Amino acid sequence: MVGFCSFFLVAGGTGPTSDTGWGCMLRCGQMIFAQALVCRHLGRDWRWVKGKKQMENYYNVLNAFIDKKDSYYSIHQIAQMGVGEGKSIGQWYGPNTVAQVLKKLATFDTWSSLAVHIAMDNTVVMEEIRRLCKLSCPCPGASAFPAAESDLLSNGYPDGAECMDRLLSWKPLVLLIPLRLGLTDINEAYIETLKHCFMMPQSLGVIGGKPNSAHYFIGYVGEELIYLDPHTTQPAVEPMESGHIPDESFHCQHPPCRMSIAELDPSIAVGFFCNNEEDFNDWCQQVKKLSLIRGALPMFELVEHQPSHFSSPDVLNLTPDSSDADRLERFFDSEDEDFEILSL
Amino acid sequence: MQETTDIRTKYPSKIPVVLERYQKEKTLPQLSRVKFLVSGDLSMSQFVYSLRARLSLTATQAFYLLVDNKSLPCLSLTVAEVYEANKDDDGFLYITYASQDTFGDIGP
Repeated sequence: MVGFCSFFLVAGGTGPTSDTGWGCMLRCGQMIFAQALVCRHLGRDWRWVKGKKQMENYYNVLNAFIDKKDSYYSIHQIAQMGVGEGKSIGQWYGPNTVAQVLKKLATFDTWSSLAVHIAMDNTVVMEEIRRLCKLSCPCPGASAFPAAESDLLSNGYPDGAECMDRLLSWKPLVLLIPLRLGLTDINEAYIETLKHCFMMPQSLGVIGGKPNSAHYFIGYVGEELIYLDPHTTQPAVEPMESGHIPDESFHCQHPPCRMSIAELDPSIAVGFFCNNEEDFNDWCQQVKKLSLIRGALPMFELVEHQPSHFSSPDVLNLTPDSSDADRLERFFDSEDEDFEILSL
Repeated sequence: MQETTDIRTKYPSKIPVVLERYQKEKTLPQLSRVKFLVSGDLSMSQFVYSLRARLSLTATQAFYLLVDNKSLPCLSLTVAEVYEANKDDDGFLYITYASQDTFGDIGP
């Protein structure tokens, strides 16, 4: 068996706030992020033991996900932030959307101070990640409201010599790669590569599902994936007066489920956690080695720099000015009967 | 075959591409045309960029091009290279575009 099994949320919530029916991908997003926070605050090797007294950070991680409006990554926060991504409350999510929402929520989590990167278009740009992890200096004063990544980029380097130490340090990285491994069914050519992703020490698992229902995949055995199913509904957890959180429902009390890899819906997001720069460099090496395995089709490309014409993804967010419009015009200039001609 | 032979004679530097929306796609808009002539020396990243702009997608929206049920992971390839490796017998390069599926069933 390849995978991990330390901390996960298998909470559902019943009653008026029940999310049964629409929230399963949101729960999967919470699970993969909870694993990231465990790696960040408790270490990759941490395991939950029933009844054992845990360190304080453990309870802080639980609190970050508890079903309360003001928890960093509560179901309420995700649903609310999803509105900004064009999802109304109750609408179904794909892996990319939940990843985008979690990235936004993470900017408010100054306790974890994570660099969250979502690699779009099947491309992981190393330069972009290094910039994100190194530049994000939480200067005193700015820490109450951490600037969004784009603000930091446009402001350039933070000033002040006291920041130098932090500048040289590396923010822990959560890397999420949303992919589409086929149209209706997963293309078998990707299966070997997918398995290898679970074997990497940086793996956070995969969020995805069977058609319609979302699962959090944590490993594989032979040709089967091991997953946690968020559809197990549970009573909402309330911290007790003593401050103690009844935490059993946050952990799997039964063996995780299994399903054939071939049944996997092709829409997934693969997650990794790199604690420091060395960890990230190691991850890059592992990915490069992956491309040498015969019969394993790469799921994404790892490149040093942005491909040309792809400079800043934010450019796409801007309203095209006249020169952009002209350029687009030239892309789709003339027409030849049935054809539209695309040129530079 | 005749159609692509004619068009390649007329535009030798252009690649005939059939670009279709995945039939179950729910979020991405439909393009007004299906057949395109694309410069062979255009990189796939430029191609994706222009399509994203044309479909008015934001940078955070999922957008995938699939050829032969495979995502195109190598954006540094040129359209001509992708064409040579994947062209159909009729002389066209068939590409399907799609976003991601969504999940939210009532459960088991």
